[in-house]
Amino acid sequence: MSASTTGTRQIAMVLDLNKCIGCQTCAVACKSLWCKDEGTDYQWWCTVNTMPGRGTPKDYEEMGGGYKDSIPVRGIAPSREDFGGGWKFNHSEVFFDGNPEHKPLRVAGEQPQWGPNWDEDQGAGEYPNSYFYYMPRLCNFCTHAACVDACPRGAMAKRSSDGIVVRDEDRCRGYQFCAEACPYKKIYFNYELKISQHCIGCIPRLEQGVAPACARQCPGRLVFVGYLDDEDGPIHKLVNEWKVALPLHPEYETLPNVYYIPPLAPAPFNEDGSVNEAGSRIPPEHLESQFGPGVHDAIDTLKTEVEKARSGEASGLMDLLIAYNWQDLFPDFTRDPIDITWD
Amino acid sequence: MAADVTKTETTSNPGVSKRYHDMWKWDEVYWASHCIDCYPGNCPLRVYVKDGQVVREEPAGAFKTVQEGVPDMNPMGCQKGAGWTRLLSADERVLHPLRRVGERGDGKWEEISWDEATTEVADSILDAIEEVGPESIVAPSGCNIGPLALVGRGKFMGNLGGITLDLNAEMNDFSAGLYMTWGTFDPVSSIDDWFHSEIFLIWFGNPVYNRIPHYHFISEARYHGCEVINIAPDVGPSASHADYHMPVRPGSDAAFALSMCKVVIDEGLIDEKFATEQTDLALLVNTKTNKYLRESDVTEEGSSRQFYAWDARSGQAVLAPRGTLFWGDVEPALEGPFTVDTKDGPVEVTTVFSLMRERLEDYEPEKAAEICGIDADAIRSLARKIATKRTNILGSLNNASKHYHGDLIERSQILLLALTGNWGKHGTGMRSWGSGFLDGMLAFFLKSKRGPELTGNMLDMAEAMMQMTLQNDPTLTRKIVSVEQSRNSEPMGFVPPVFFWYRFAGYKEAWDNADWHDPSMKRPFEEYFNEAVEKGWWRGADVPHEDSPPRVLIECGGNVLRRTRGGSKRLLEHLWPQLKKIVTIDVRMSATALHSDIVLPAAQQYEKLGFGIPSSHVMNLTFCDKAVDPPGEALQEWEIFRRIAEKVEERAKERGVEPYKDSRNRTYDPKTLHETFTSSGEWLDQEVIFDEMLRDTAMVGTIPENASLEDLREKGFYRWQGLGLSARAVAQATDPQPDETFVPFRKHVEEGEPYPTLCRRSQFLIDHDWFIEADEHLPIHKEPPGIGGDYPFQVSSGHNRWSIHSLNTANDLMLETHRGEPHVVVNDHDAEKLGIEDHDLVRVFNDAGEFKVRVKISSGACPGQVVMYNGFDNYQFPDWAGPNDAEPGMIKWLHLAGGYGHFKYWATEWQPCPVMRNTRVGIEKA
Ligand code: SF4
Repeated sequence: MSASTTGTRQIAMVLDLNKCIGCQTCAVACKSLWCKDEGTDYQWWCTVNTMPGRGTPKDYEEMGGGYKDSIPVRGIAPSREDFGGGWKFNHSEVFFDGNPEHKPLRVAGEQPQWGPNWDEDQGAGEYPNSYFYYMPRLCNFCTHAACVDACPRGAMAKRSSDGIVVRDEDRCRGYQFCAEACPYKKIYFNYELKISQHCIGCIPRLEQGVAPACARQCPGRLVFVGYLDDEDGPIHKLVNEWKVALPLHPEYETLPNVYYIPPLAPAPFNEDGSVNEAGSRIPPEHLESQFGPGVHDAIDTLKTEVEKARSGEASGLMDLLIAYNWQDLFPDFTRDPIDITWD
Repeated sequence: MAADVTKTETTSNPGVSKRYHDMWKWDEVYWASHCIDCYPGNCPLRVYVKDGQVVREEPAGAFKTVQEGVPDMNPMGCQKGAGWTRLLSADERVLHPLRRVGERGDGKWEEISWDEATTEVADSILDAIEEVGPESIVAPSGCNIGPLALVGRGKFMGNLGGITLDLNAEMNDFSAGLYMTWGTFDPVSSIDDWFHSEIFLIWFGNPVYNRIPHYHFISEARYHGCEVINIAPDVGPSASHADYHMPVRPGSDAAFALSMCKVVIDEGLIDEKFATEQTDLALLVNTKTNKYLRESDVTEEGSSRQFYAWDARSGQAVLAPRGTLFWGDVEPALEGPFTVDTKDGPVEVTTVFSLMRERLEDYEPEKAAEICGIDADAIRSLARKIATKRTNILGSLNNASKHYHGDLIERSQILLLALTGNWGKHGTGMRSWGSGFLDGMLAFFLKSKRGPELTGNMLDMAEAMMQMTLQNDPTLTRKIVSVEQSRNSEPMGFVPPVFFWYRFAGYKEAWDNADWHDPSMKRPFEEYFNEAVEKGWWRGADVPHEDSPPRVLIECGGNVLRRTRGGSKRLLEHLWPQLKKIVTIDVRMSATALHSDIVLPAAQQYEKLGFGIPSSHVMNLTFCDKAVDPPGEALQEWEIFRRIAEKVEERAKERGVEPYKDSRNRTYDPKTLHETFTSSGEWLDQEVIFDEMLRDTAMVGTIPENASLEDLREKGFYRWQGLGLSARAVAQATDPQPDETFVPFRKHVEEGEPYPTLCRRSQFLIDHDWFIEADEHLPIHKEPPGIGGDYPFQVSSGHNRWSIHSLNTANDLMLETHRGEPHVVVNDHDAEKLGIEDHDLVRVFNDAGEFKVRVKISSGACPGQVVMYNGFDNYQFPDWAGPNDAEPGMIKWLHLAGGYGHFKYWATEWQPCPVMRNTRVGIEKA
């Protein structure tokens, strides 16, 4: 729809949370590619957290930003401590400089109280009905990008060719209005360069026809990438046809373009220890708090299609999610990077 | 959502700064993988080099579809792999040969030259040989190194006459129950075969943590209609994507499995054809002795290896064929009893099945529910599903073996699969790990000359021998001959470490402690140990003898202080003082390196040639090229061993050291060590060695005919066309197909090929006297013994997510993906009772020892359980005391049994392995 009404296109992603194993490969792939320079030591543009949990930065869902009834909601910019990370360790002291008292390997200086994946695998619920799932997060390439609107410098923009939200780092003065406005808190401050930074959508890769690092390196095969308006592509089918892929926190009103297949979970137990086949281990309210009211239908559709597969029936949805050929995850970005020759 | 939300203006089309475009550029690309023990690993990657430095890596994504309708294997990788480049210049890296200054473990070093280092090592080796003998030189056998390093270590130790401790006991990755039943522990299906499963039981494993590159086959199987069921005390990471989680009480899994067996039998769901063909369930047993009825019981000249079934058609006992599993005209009865005339008159016999069925009376679901904590209806429902669907118990790395009664658990699980016809078919089976399929590497150990001729001769000779053996006894198969050859050849290279530990490493006290064993151990442990040695059950493998105390320890590829159950404290107290020289070869500082006298810097991945561990799990021979030179003075391990060998030779000549013998009467000459190591200069160039291994492997037909280093540099990996000639490969009993996923044991199931066990069938009755005495001649549930003492909590463990063993554990990038230091997971209510809050430091203790660690609180931990993922290095804990300091490293006495059919040591197979799960501990706030 966006292509026809505005003449622009939007790249979107679908992340299938039923395939995500929280391995952090996307996060490491991203960091290894983009966050190696000064001031980026603590930055993880792509993070994976255990949900329910406090997330990255800590309690990001309580930091505000986005819109309420189209009016911008003033948020706070996360602090260095809220993100945590960027740790330097005492390797040399422990290993090489003489350590007869056997001091352990630790973060040098003050001990951390939070980090990018601090509450990993803690989850919620009462044993044996405990539960958790994994949630990778990156820039949402929002259609109504609060960060762009909030930047007084005009340093941020939404590209017409693919809808990636980019920052002109030369114009950026580090006011952090963007970080306040972003309700997903996916904008970091570079304390060395005194500018803000965030996911660049792997633009250099996209421009060469190569899938983003987080998607192409995902061993769980759960990251679909494509144009939202491509009716033959997986994104359109999952978002608009099957309606099983949902935006995270739609109530922030930024119209995010990263969509999630919501998590199923093991059948819970009744008080007497018997299995509650129809029950839902993850409270529906929790799912709704993440993915909005559409989540219930999405879960029902998923369950119906899984059942179909169990009874031997064909399911277009299941086939789509299986992605028999890896490259079907990002049909427009299948180029092998090694085929590129740089001048 | 408000409908009238405006869009952000998208009129401009700006890019990102050139800086970012430059970040993604490179000069050169190389094939890579991580040729370490991230088993099964084998991810084909590309490494990007810029300005002579490795800048990053990325999965190649180059796999073709194997089987239509099955997802491809792309991209394969994990977060450790995605961040490997960081290890090349990591702060924990060792770059120069180091010599200890001050006391061992003081962490103070001086840099020395390679010449000084090798001289010191060589002299200590020669001293040890002169003082004690070659078996005082000991190498643990870590495998976090590539093939060339393994070959280097193997050739060095072999030509020196030192002993190498069997890795499978060191890691306790030997599945004794699988071995008892099948005669080998390592049938392995390809990861993509999981997609065919209809029931996938995640039971004794945590694939969400440790099968990262391969997990998608489980989630995709689920979308394909498979039910994923996680059976574990904790609602852990691998429960998150399961359809059901079964919160089994710690250590009670055998009761759960046996109860399902009972349901299958009682409800008439048993696959009788499969059970009678594939297993011993139809064989006859003397009801008084619990021993098989043997031909030697019936006639004077009868064989003790010939067993009987009851032919329902003719109404008499008939000899069970040894050459095939198929019964021909015989209709074997599954249920007894019968009377048979023997030498001693008529005796009552019944079938193994009937005996087992009697035993299963104790596992009525309602009764079993009380033992295992699983609802009776849930037991029934799962049993019915397993009986009617293709069932796979954990795609890989079953870790039941890390429990004291892991063998009983595994035997119960296999019984369930046997009754339901669940192996040898796509999507079915039960998996440990399997490797050793690189014939060119095995051949290289034996070769003294380059070229195909010698290999051709060796292959011809082996084939002639095989033919002769097969002709002499037509009941034999290639599999049985290969396995028997391995069992009967004198142990070369590896020895089971149990003798070394008991005699020299301080294990005696723990193992002799009857309170930490099962109460059915009727006599003192020591008596069993001595009986096993005196009866010669371990002859040739029971080294070092009492008169050969250890003097030199060479650690390459592992981290013995971190890994050994029983603890660093025990080794430091008992073993270390006996050692005159401790040498560690590693890429980084490990706990063992920190306690060494000499640390030698090794080349990392991308700095040397390598192959991934050859395994049918991934069905590919994966290649890692040398993209850059190692930094500092680091060297490839082969070269390190070569330099030490050269120095030993030089110093032996200078010192006039004479040829010497080992306890097995083999002669070694240190004055020619380098000459034999390099085959008189034949093996100096690593590229030549690689080419040789590849060509020889191709000669066996398992990789393309034209395979070479050059060709591999282009292609990156080869799919196995066959598995080769090694016993382990032949034991898979399936020929791989190019367009099909791989599942082992097809020859057993489809062609009726017998198994390499005493009775030639999958064997549930173990009628060894010790087993009968312990009432373990058939599967049974036994409570885990109170290892560690009388404490309220039980430790469970497993591989961590963030490091491959302890290899990446000190890396800053990986540390930032968790809390940066070790933790245990404790149930929320337990924590509350103990007054413990999240991230508190606690003391975990028992009668064996203690360690301190941070706590993470989760309702997912089972009450009474302490989850301590392993792989953290000891120096990450206060006082460098790690979890293994509270693990006494008990072994089960029955695993010392021998003199019985297939109970014979061969490398990585039948032997006792220390366990640590269900160790009892207390916790308190530190
Ligand atoms: S470390 Fe092992 S599992 Fe991870 S990417 Fe490398 S080869 Fe694959």
